This record gives sequence, C-alpha cells and structure tokens, in this order.
Amino acid sequence: MEMFRFVLGSAFLLIGMVVFAIEVFGIFRLNCALNRLHSAALGDTLGISSCMIGLMIMEGFTFTTLKMALVILFFWMASPVSSHLLANLEITTYADLDSKATTYEDISLLEDEMKQNGAKREN
Amino acid sequence: MSRRKTDEEYRQTGAFRFFRWLSGSKDAYIDTVEMKPQTEAVETKEEEERREAEHKHAVEKAYDSNNRAIIVFNKIYRLVAAIFTVFLLVSLIYAVSYLPKIGDADNATSNEVARRYIENGVQETGAVNIVSGMILTYRAFDTFGETNVLFIATCCVMLMLMLDEKILEKMDGRDDRRFEPKSDPILKTMASFLCPVIFIFAIYILFNGHLSPGGGFSGGAVLGAGMIIYVNAFGFKNTQRFFNETIYKIAKISALCMYGLIGSYFYITGANHIANHIPLGKVGELISGGIILPINIVVGIEVACTMYAFYALFRRGGL
Repeated sequence: MEMFRFVLGSAFLLIGMVVFAIEVFGIFRLNCALNRLHSAALGDTLGISSCMIGLMIMEGFTFTTLKMALVILFFWMASPVSSHLLANLEITTYADLDSKATTYEDISLLEDEMKQNGAKREN
Repeated sequence: MSRRKTDEEYRQTGAFRFFRWLSGSKDAYIDTVEMKPQTEAVETKEEEERREAEHKHAVEKAYDSNNRAIIVFNKIYRLVAAIFTVFLLVSLIYAVSYLPKIGDADNATSNEVARRYIENGVQETGAVNIVSGMILTYRAFDTFGETNVLFIATCCVMLMLMLDEKILEKMDGRDDRRFEPKSDPILKTMASFLCPVIFIFAIYILFNGHLSPGGGFSGGAVLGAGMIIYVNAFGFKNTQRFFNETIYKIAKISALCMYGLIGSYFYITGANHIANHIPLGKVGELISGGIILPINIVVGIEVACTMYAFYALFRRGGL
C-alpha cells in the first residue's frame, strides 16, 4: 500500500513538473502577451494542482492535506481571475492588437459568429 | 462665556498660536518670507549662439562615429569592463570558498547569544515561536524602529502624492484611470468569496504569531493585500465606508503609540533583571507570551495601513 501510494504520488508530481516545464517554455517562446498569459495560467492551475495532489497522496490523510487542498482551491479561484484582468488590461492598452488577435465587444457576438460558422459547416 | 480671557487676550497666548498652527489655518510663509512670482525664462542672442555652438561641437566631436580616438577608447573601455567583471567574480567566488560551513559548531554565529535564545527563549518570553519571541521581546526596540520606518515612509509618500478630496472628485474619470477596466463582474464575484477568507486568515496569522510561523509583519501584509483586492473589486467609494483618511490616521498613530507604550513599559519593568510584571501565561495557549500578542496585533495594523496607503496613494492620490 505504501509503495502504491508513493508511485501514484510521484506520478502526479512528475505530471506537474512536466506541465511547469511546458509553462516556462511557453512563456519564453511565445510572442504575444495574451499567448504568454495562457501558458502561465496553465502552470498556475493544472501544474500546481497536480503537484499538490501528488504531495497529498504521499502525505496521507492529515491536517496538512486539508491545508494543501485549500491551497489548490485558492489558486483555482485566484489565478484565472488575475489572468482575466491582465488580459483585459492588455486589450485596452495594446494599440496594435488587431494584427495579433480578434477581439469582441461582447461575448454574445462571438457566440453568434460561432453559430453561423457551425451552420455553414453543416451545409 | 466659558472662556475667561477676552478674544483679544486669547489671541496673544501660546495656546492660540499652537492650535492655529495645528489646524493649519495660517500659512507660515505669509508676512514672514518675501515671495516673488516666477518670471518666464528669456534667452538672449548671445546665450542662444553659445548653446548652438556647444551642440555643434558635441555632434561633431563626441558623437562622431569616424573619430579614431573614440573608437579606440570604446574598445579599451569594453575590454577593461570585461576584465574587471571577471576579476570581481573570481575574487568573490574565492572568498566564498573560504567561508565556514553553515551550521558548524565552531562558527562565529553560534555564540552564547544564539544559545541563550534557544535554551531560555521559551521560559523567558513565553512564545513557542522562537523568532517571534526574539524580535518582539529581546529586540523589541529594533522592531519599534522598523515600525517607525514604515510610518515615516507613508508620511513621505503622502506628502508627495496626496491630493485634496475636492480635486479628486473633480478629476474622477478624467485622468489615466478611465482607461483601466473597472468593476469587473468576474473579479467582483471572486472577491466576495475571497476577501472574507483572506481577512480571517490574516487575523489568524496575527493572533498566532507567538505559536506558529507568522506574526505582525506577515499578517499585516496579508491584511493589506486583502484590502487591495477589495478596492480593486468594489472601488474606493465602498472602501471609504470602513477605511477612510480619518480612520487611517487614528489606526496608524494609535497603533504606533500603543507599541511605544507597551514596549517602554516592558523595558522599564521587565528588562535589566528587574521582575517582569507582565504575566507570560501558559506556554502554547492563545492568550500567552506576555507582550508578544498585543505587539503583533499593533504591528499588523501598522503594516496593513502602510500597504493599503501605498497602493491607494500611488493609484488615486488619496485614501
């Protein structure tokens, strides 16, 4: 049982480390700030949660495990919101945005366009 | 009339002058310092010619890319800079290799001071967290200085950046801030979940400073961060309902004075081998540790006020 827990925990930790490596690679490789934000958010949510889950499995059911679960919860709540705000600021301040991305005033416009595209594909 | 002196007599007393100075109703410079209005700078023909000649000389001689002397100088400059950097690196690494090992018993740092803290710290301070016991009892004066530094730093920032509330109301939405994304619904929803949790966690860190890692500085930082999130989500109008300039002044100054009072009482009664009048309580309980718990709370208030005031002053120019 102890061995099984160790293997499972280290597997989760390894997945988390790989995700972090991809995140760091993406941050230095991608050019547009919005793309870099996407890769940073990847590490902040998936990377940190898989690392924490691995540590939780290794630790067993104690008070520390509960604290780690709270850390995951906090990161899942805080990190996407901060990425969203940074993206919002980038859209309002970057003058030459249209050359890199398509922006919509409202989310319903994007939904309409996606519906139209879906209808075209069916035809 | 409750005042015994007449108005004329009262105006000549020191108390009148003191309260006039305190309320700032009289400008100290008027009638005492001669003041002249600024005049526009006018450039004469001679000065203009000299300036242009200097500019021409600089462009021709100093920024000339074909000037042999400058090219040679730049090459030598780079070479010397590289040699100096390498020399510095080598000498520093050489010096590091001669440093004693970390945690060695023969080190100069493991003297009787550190031993005293570790062996007698819990009995003398009543704190399970030795670091907290050290910085808030043995070295309470040092921490008092740090807290004063925070106070003076915010005072300086306020002097430089604080604007009048009327100007701020006039400027509302007409400065740089109108380009910022405001009242984001996603942030609002998340902040209404997170802010209470952050505040409770900050209070937990503050009150548990003598039992677990944490204390005034870290707890105050978390409290200030929570308030910054609140401001970002709900705006300055909502924050001013529970934290405006008056409350800021009261909290900050009373926290500093409380620290001074507690610290000086402790030093007068407890230090220098005179019997300590502040009970230490049972080690490990929440209400224990003598002066550590109140000082932690006071420092936490000070740090939280500093963090929030820095953010508000740099962003808006007022609290």
